[in-house]
Amino acid sequence: MKTLVNVARFHLVDRVTYAALPWGVLAFTFVVNLVIAAIVPTQNGYYTGAVSSFYFILLAAGSISLTRGLPFGMMLGVSRRSYYLGTSLLVVLLCAGYSLALAMLEGLERTTAGWGNQVHFFRVSWLLAGPWYETWLTSFVLLVCFWLYGMWCGLVYRRWSLPGLTVFFIAQGLTVLIAVIAVWLSHSWSDVGTFFSSPTALVLTGILAAAAAVFGVGGYTTLRRTTV
Amino acid sequence: MIPTIAATALGRRYRDQVALDNISLALEPGTVTGLLGRNGAGKTTLMRIITGQEFPTTGDIRVFGEKPAENDAVLRRMIFVREEQSYPDLRVEAAIRVASWFYPNWDDQLATQLLADFSIPRRRRIKKLSRGMRSAVGIVIGLAARAELTLFDEPYAGLDPVARQVFYDRLLGEIAEFPRTVLLSTHLVDEVADLLEHIVMLDQGRVVLDAPADDIRGKAVTVKGQASVVDEFVAGRAVWHRQRLGGRAAVTVPGPFDDLAQARARAMHLSLEPLSLQQLLVHASGISEQEKVSA
Repeated sequence: MKTLVNVARFHLVDRVTYAALPWGVLAFTFVVNLVIAAIVPTQNGYYTGAVSSFYFILLAAGSISLTRGLPFGMMLGVSRRSYYLGTSLLVVLLCAGYSLALAMLEGLERTTAGWGNQVHFFRVSWLLAGPWYETWLTSFVLLVCFWLYGMWCGLVYRRWSLPGLTVFFIAQGLTVLIAVIAVWLSHSWSDVGTFFSSPTALVLTGILAAAAAVFGVGGYTTLRRTTV
Repeated sequence: MIPTIAATALGRRYRDQVALDNISLALEPGTVTGLLGRNGAGKTTLMRIITGQEFPTTGDIRVFGEKPAENDAVLRRMIFVREEQSYPDLRVEAAIRVASWFYPNWDDQLATQLLADFSIPRRRRIKKLSRGMRSAVGIVIGLAARAELTLFDEPYAGLDPVARQVFYDRLLGEIAEFPRTVLLSTHLVDEVADLLEHIVMLDQGRVVLDAPADDIRGKAVTVKGQASVVDEFVAGRAVWHRQRLGGRAAVTVPGPFDDLAQARARAMHLSLEPLSLQQLLVHASGISEQEKVSA
């Protein structure tokens, strides 16, 4: 356990990537959106979805978080398993904290009636629009999902370089394609539509959690084959 | 006693290239071993397998009696400083701090002292350091960690002779104060010759020499003197190398030479010069020059 905590601390030495960058970008896009909302008049409130920038920054951070420090970690006698688990510990802790902050900001946005100007920056219709604890949970799972996916991409790149990463993306495209064809052949488009429109965002959160688990296991399996 | 490192019929193959071929060796605890060999001989591959960074294709590797790959209990007892070790984008002091968390015997004072010895600016980012200084950072971490098994793979790329001497002195002092097993790969054989207690030499993935350094040192001599007298003296010995200039000859032959033989050489007005470790290794790898006969 001590090793895992040390690995997590090791990552946190780089505060720019893990704290300054995501929050800096978020603050910047927030201000930009406030200004635009002030200039451009809207009818039914201003929905931006720009909070997604935060998620994509973490995806990018994830793609380098594991591979960049791996040679140094292994120099210091850390096994791949400990390195992955320690990094995952950091992912879970940071995402828990960050998603809580996002949920709080969403709450603040609500109480201030959209920052006094009907701006819905942190609120995303349907997905991040429930009670604060639901927003927290969904946001948390989504962040972990993005991070672990980025981490897996980074590992695939490290292990098999660009050709490997290309194959990796093509394989994902094929998976989606096969799913679409399966739905089309079984004439079940309406079922799919019902599935995604009727349930609460919590069901989607569950699906995302399963995806995060797949990304985590995939990343770990890739790392086990990686040499430095 | 369990050897610190034990390899049995170890092999590593990359597609059609054999990096390690049937390596078997055992390194005793508390010894300083030199891992020598030409470029591409398999030194780095062997060290990477020992530290679990790479996986063997065949055979078995044990460190402290256990398989090292993904074995935290074994891995945390060692440190492996590689040639051109890659670091994340950190300041020197941050890298030192991070390393200190992983080693219970870490010596902070020593790290500070070594940074000063090598004149490394603590606040500078590692990637902004010169090549030699970056190498020195690896040496500082490798020594201050005081890990039971310390591996250095050509740790001094770009280091000037003065800094290299600092490294040798510090390494000697450290081992005396805090004994540990050291495996050091290097091309600068004669520089480290006095440090080494044991020599393992690889050539094209095979072990061609595995012996205590003391056994090797007196292993061969170059006999110099009048050609006919030299020939008389070395009669019956395997000749490794022969050089002739006019009436004089220099012939390299394997030892040993007892007191009697040495007295005989003096009486015959011949000089006996022991081969340096480096010259011996050149012979061992079979690249000795062909017999040169002039005149």
